[in-house]
Amino acid sequence: MFARAKCDFLRSHKPIPRDAIPSTIYTAADIKTFGATGAARMDLQHRNNVKVMGDGPSTLIFSHGFGCDQSMWRYLAEGFTDRFTVVLYDLVGAGESDLEAYDREKYNSLAGYARDLNEIIDHYARGPVIVVGHSVSSMIGTLADRQAPGSIAAHIMIGPSPCYIDTDDYVGGFKLEDIHSLLDILDSNYLGWSSTMAPVIMGTPGQPALSEELTNSFCRTEPDIAKQFARVTFMSDNRQDIVGLATPTLILQSTDDLIAPLAVGDYLHAVLPNSTLCLVANVGHCPHMSSPSACSEAMENFLSPWIREHVN
Amino acid sequence: MSTDQPLLPDNQMLFDEAPCGLVVTKEDGTILRSNQTFSHSIGLDAQALIGRRFQDLLTMGGRIFHQTHWSPLMQMQGSVAEVKLDLVHHDKHIVTMLLNGVRREHASGAFYELALFGTKDRDKYERELLNARKVAEDLLREKTAAESALRQAQAELKSAYEEAQLRASFAEQMVAIVSHDLKNPLTAIKMASGILAREERTTRESKMLGHISQSVNRAERMIADLLDLALARVGQGITLSPSTVDLHAFVGASVDELRMTFPEATLVHQTVGTGNAWLDADRVQQIIGNLVANSVAYGDLQQPITITSRVEQDHAVVSVKNQGPVIPDSLMGVLFEPMIRGGNTGTDSRSVGLGLFIVREIVRAHNGVVSVNSTPESGTTFTATFPMV
Repeated sequence: MFARAKCDFLRSHKPIPRDAIPSTIYTAADIKTFGATGAARMDLQHRNNVKVMGDGPSTLIFSHGFGCDQSMWRYLAEGFTDRFTVVLYDLVGAGESDLEAYDREKYNSLAGYARDLNEIIDHYARGPVIVVGHSVSSMIGTLADRQAPGSIAAHIMIGPSPCYIDTDDYVGGFKLEDIHSLLDILDSNYLGWSSTMAPVIMGTPGQPALSEELTNSFCRTEPDIAKQFARVTFMSDNRQDIVGLATPTLILQSTDDLIAPLAVGDYLHAVLPNSTLCLVANVGHCPHMSSPSACSEAMENFLSPWIREHVN
Repeated sequence: MSTDQPLLPDNQMLFDEAPCGLVVTKEDGTILRSNQTFSHSIGLDAQALIGRRFQDLLTMGGRIFHQTHWSPLMQMQGSVAEVKLDLVHHDKHIVTMLLNGVRREHASGAFYELALFGTKDRDKYERELLNARKVAEDLLREKTAAESALRQAQAELKSAYEEAQLRASFAEQMVAIVSHDLKNPLTAIKMASGILAREERTTRESKMLGHISQSVNRAERMIADLLDLALARVGQGITLSPSTVDLHAFVGASVDELRMTFPEATLVHQTVGTGNAWLDADRVQQIIGNLVANSVAYGDLQQPITITSRVEQDHAVVSVKNQGPVIPDSLMGVLFEPMIRGGNTGTDSRSVGLGLFIVREIVRAHNGVVSVNSTPESGTTFTATFPMV
């Protein structure tokens, strides 16, 4: 039933030509964040290192999780660029985002990241928007949906968890002391890895070419930002935001995931009225990297209402 | 020749006894092979490790870190180096190790080859550095918080002070207005009782008219004091109409008047030197009146009150001295401020606590100074010194 509704929705929406996309609008908060002189040139592209591929009539926005950056989508995103407008970006503080834009108050809760996602949707999306969020970005997508209802047509959540810490009947998989031990590890690797938390690359057997240009280019995180983001991610409880969210949602749940255990996937499926739970045979928290084809297969099925034959 | 060379260790021995832990896993972390050095580090033999996942040997924080950080990196960039990890030894104590790892592709996937180095002393040192940094950061935070609290307290104090000043100024203006407005009804009462007194009265009526007259005089003095306070605080200050006067003659006349006012006291006038002074005679008479009234209120009335007028080359000096209890130290600093009174003098005080304040203001208006000296031996003396113009 909802699929037909979506098709109607699609018919009523002509794709917006790219040159019709308005230039960035600045709010007072943005000007404060970026400093008055830089305000005029401030640009989401610069702030979030936004990359756009493809020009399909619907938009897939990929939002990475804690600890990495948009490069983790390389195994998954390319398969959709022939039929979708694909938008990749780095959360502020991660990857190649503008570290100057990192505002400790704004990013002291996931709501700050959700505001950024809505700005990216406003300025880059064509047609209906499907947010593909890994891990904590599933909750950033949820909050963006709550902040601007109607802006997101569907969610694809990979390894989502609304709350990591066990509370009462709810099983998140962690205790508070586990999160403190993660913060300790981040702390001690701050010294081990000098100023940027990007590990050195060693020569890779059989792949010597994959060295120089990629050195330190993945998952670069400033240590203080990594610690705050870890706290914001693992201490947050978004159950009140997720319960009853009616936007169609695909939950991609790994069969063996320490960070998002099966019980959490079941919980989300139960509280999201329009959700599909899809188990992916995978060990670890990054099925989009270790089992990309299983993920894209599930996504293709879910996305069929938004896929139209691409006309050259 | 070559037979003299000792045999190099074979590959198996090199692997097993390498000076670092060596572990080979599948992509999902399942351990396929590990060496003796690693077994020794974590207290599990190689056979028992086969089939377990490497990440399951880590602390919980380490496992999250593995999932969110170095596992994606191994996949994307094919290697990691110098990652610090906490492993849990078989006997449950924590072993901190540095990890270098590479990913080796093969036809059906990839192996992860991991080398692990003990880093006990280095780790200890790094933790000390980390703690020192934390302490420094905490101190900085405390300092910043204290500074901001101080700034806030100062701002609050300033605003409270400004508010208090505003209130005080309002109250003083009220005093000025009310005192001025009270003069008219008092004048009416005085005139009416004067007219009533002219006709023949019974003894009781005359006595009551006397009470009315005394009370009106007292109220007039109080109002005069309040008006002087208002002048000094919110107006232009006390204004003078000075003239040349014979100091001793004028002080003597004032003392005579005060003898009528305070019949219960013995007033003695002493003079030193001779000559004129440039003073507002009415105002200086007010000074003497206030000081004598104080002496009567607080001094020992069994002993005389001495009023001294002295003419010197540069100054004219008027002082009033009484015997009796000394002025407490706690009062000395604020004696000349308005609304300050000495010890208990009963409810029938002649003033509202402005006497000495007005004395000081009048002396100041003359560019003079007033001082007080109070000891058990020599009694209490107030001295007003006026410059010769």
